[in-house]
Amino acid sequence: MSSAAEQFLRDAATKSADLVHREIIRRNMDSYEAAHQRGRSRIKNWEAARRRCQEIKREAIEHLDKYLLQFEEKVIAHGGHVFWAANGDEACAYIKDLAVSRNVRTVVKSKSMVTEEIHLSPVLEKVGIKVWETDLGEFIVQLRNEPPYHIVTPAMHLNRQQIRELFREKLGEDIADADPQKLVALARRKLREAFFAAEMGISGANFLVADSGAIAISTNEGNGRLSTSLPRIHVAVTGIEKIVPRLEDLGTLWPVLATSGTGQPITTYSTLIGGPRRPSEADGPEEFHVVLLDNGRSSLLANAEEREVLTCIRCGACLNICPVYRNIGGHTYNTTYQGPIGSVLTPHLRGNDFQHLAQASSLCGACSSVCPVNINLHHHLLHNRRDAAASGNAKASERAQFRLWRTAMLHPGLYRLGGWMMRRSLRLLYGMGLAGTVFDPMRAWSRKRTPMPLPAKSFRTRWKEGLEKEEQGRGQVGNK
Amino acid sequence: MARKVSLFVPCFVDQLQPQVAVDAVKVLRRVGCEVDFLPDQTCCGQPAFNTGFWDEARPCAERFLRVFKDAETIVSPSGSCTTMVRAFFPELMASGALHDEAVALGKRTFELSEFLVRQMGLTDVGASFAHTVTYHASCHGLRELKLRDEPLQLLRGVKGLKLVDMLRFDECCGFGGTFATKFESISVAMGDSKADNIAVTGAEYVTAIDPSCLMHVQGILGRRKDRARAIHLASILASEA
Amino acid sequence: MATSNPSREAILARIREGLRTPAPPMEAKTLDGPIFEPVQNPLERFQQECKANLMECQVTADASGSAQVLAQVLNSLPAGEVFLQDDPVLRRLMENSGSARQLQWSSQGGPAETAQATVTLADALIAQTGSIFVSAACGGRGASVVAPCHIVYATARQLVPDLVTALRTATAQGRLDNHSFACIISGSSRTADIEKILVQGAHGPMRLVVILETNS
Repeated sequence: MSSAAEQFLRDAATKSADLVHREIIRRNMDSYEAAHQRGRSRIKNWEAARRRCQEIKREAIEHLDKYLLQFEEKVIAHGGHVFWAANGDEACAYIKDLAVSRNVRTVVKSKSMVTEEIHLSPVLEKVGIKVWETDLGEFIVQLRNEPPYHIVTPAMHLNRQQIRELFREKLGEDIADADPQKLVALARRKLREAFFAAEMGISGANFLVADSGAIAISTNEGNGRLSTSLPRIHVAVTGIEKIVPRLEDLGTLWPVLATSGTGQPITTYSTLIGGPRRPSEADGPEEFHVVLLDNGRSSLLANAEEREVLTCIRCGACLNICPVYRNIGGHTYNTTYQGPIGSVLTPHLRGNDFQHLAQASSLCGACSSVCPVNINLHHHLLHNRRDAAASGNAKASERAQFRLWRTAMLHPGLYRLGGWMMRRSLRLLYGMGLAGTVFDPMRAWSRKRTPMPLPAKSFRTRWKEGLEKEEQGRGQVGNK
Repeated sequence: MARKVSLFVPCFVDQLQPQVAVDAVKVLRRVGCEVDFLPDQTCCGQPAFNTGFWDEARPCAERFLRVFKDAETIVSPSGSCTTMVRAFFPELMASGALHDEAVALGKRTFELSEFLVRQMGLTDVGASFAHTVTYHASCHGLRELKLRDEPLQLLRGVKGLKLVDMLRFDECCGFGGTFATKFESISVAMGDSKADNIAVTGAEYVTAIDPSCLMHVQGILGRRKDRARAIHLASILASEA
Repeated sequence: MATSNPSREAILARIREGLRTPAPPMEAKTLDGPIFEPVQNPLERFQQECKANLMECQVTADASGSAQVLAQVLNSLPAGEVFLQDDPVLRRLMENSGSARQLQWSSQGGPAETAQATVTLADALIAQTGSIFVSAACGGRGASVVAPCHIVYATARQLVPDLVTALRTATAQGRLDNHSFACIISGSSRTADIEKILVQGAHGPMRLVVILETNS
């Protein structure tokens, strides 16, 4: 087992037993769910909307090279720059060199999971640049020196008292009643200084619009707007898979993203940026750079079976509905992207150390049922399991176990005998009161559950002996 | 003419919960089916398949095809194992000569409530069960077989039964096959959430179409010494006044 | 300055190589009919959606009514300067409002940090989502986000029924070829990052006021 897998098991055990955590997440998810339901009911034909989004993103991915080139050509024509980064190091180096050569001292960032993926902030901080996360949730987790807990709501795991405490300690102001309104106002004041001081704004992009050569950013707070309006340089860092063919595609994607993300009909600011400020315009950055990141995406593209994973629009709906996420929380995954989409994606981006994530699922399929672009997430988890077993990374003992099991299942006589022996021996053991102890081979089942039922006779034995006879003998079939 | 039904009894039902299959036989006979059980059947291969060991699962699935080759209609008291046959056998045998046969087999394999409601057109099977019951929608039945209303229709047809709604009735109970033991803590936490929701309903019984989920839920309810007990839909439908 | 792009060709080559294997086909499915409920009465719908978005929409009959509303809104704000998109229409409106505030025009640059309000036009209004569609031509980028209050002066003729229509029109007009920025704004700035409780005025305007003139 990889050390990442061991860590995961330990953290999962701690978090899933943490009732305070469970309650915070439950309350958050309840309000999300209510909003999400309301949002869905506002769309006349939700299934048609999902289908349309799936078609749009699929078309984009199936012609990824063509649309990326179209996008690039337009951006350059508008006076912007496009940098293609094969991995995180290349992306970080480009942005760092740019910042250093332009004497950047302060950077304001609007929310971007891709910059989390490539660990950009530490690279900039190392050369003495002050980096401010400006999305409120991101700002909070940055102050706590933590990664985002959730791709859409980064500070979901904290309640207002914890945030008050954090602000008191780190910002030196105490909002005595922990009123969210006042906490937000405090963050606004602090971050406003940063917005007006920064020389560089770094954003992500929710979509890259090929026919317009524009990036699309969805935000509610307006921090994405300020980060891309006030500083003299704007750098957008994004994955190559974010492309969509046409501007009008956003007419469906924007409402669907907002509905799935927060239950809103559309986010407050649906922004399109196609280049640096034009001479005739009142304000805006003098430089506009788009960093297109591969970082494993092209290998995922080569895997035709799982290619559709690249159509994800990062709405977070699969995290919100996932019963595993609800119990273990975002940090336990120890990945940039958490929840079902993270469990599917991470092994492709970061390799074998994260194969355990595919196993950490009951395969319930709730994720696939809410995905707004119809990604068959839980089947991809199944495929990841298959690939892990086939690659020889599976535990040898587990493989041996299943080989033995197969032998039994191919020989009914062996199966009958094996079943009888198992029931018989467990009955003996449990009769001695040893269920759930170290002597119990099924203790992972029976430590926290009453032992499984161990009837004296199997169904096939009863069938052979005659169910009718049984019936007459008892007169009535019991319920248990 | 009586409908001929071949019973597919999942291995863990055979070994651990035989009464569920006995009750399924009783219900099927009551509605006029001629029930047969092929004693050569073992496991459909799902445990290995879901864990990723497809090469180990495939021979079991192929064997299943051979055993049930001549069966006209196959009925199983498990949404999960029916899913394995209908949804996953074709994928498991995608490149083999048996693919078409697997697809055909899937089309004549039914989960019990699906068979009763969709194939037989029944919602009242003459059962009587004077208790308060809440329903948990097992994942495979709900999302792979799209069985949302069928079990509820049958429950509403039971004399004396009081059906009460459960919050998050369609959220996973946390069983998930080997997940239940590999990730014991997560599985148990999910089971506890389910048990909390069951407790709120005040029901005497929680029912579902999947014996495996019910075994897990009963394990949790038992540990908590909760009032509610888990019971398979077949056992409710088998009950008579 | 040409960007040096050592990995560009390699990435493109990998993409093309990967796409040689076609993806499995999509599940066959035909879903007919419109995705969104068609908008019947754009003006009514716009007002409804504004309300839902926590925007203030003030319908006026003519330019003098609009000037009055502008004066009222400006009077309700704390002392401080007002930033305006430099457009003859807004110069006239401002004059007619009789406000004595210090003014700053977009022809002189973006809004100052201290601006109490910004006043701009819009390229279009979208009924479906209660949104205003602005571009860099509407006083620049900061004009719709820097000040605590953003006032938009628009006419009912600018209403389009839905997002798709608005975006198609923008494409046809080459709006992103002519301007570096466009934004569909659907309410005041907000956040729900603390316990999912909605707070208005996160970083941008706490108030978004639309003065919608029906008879111009």
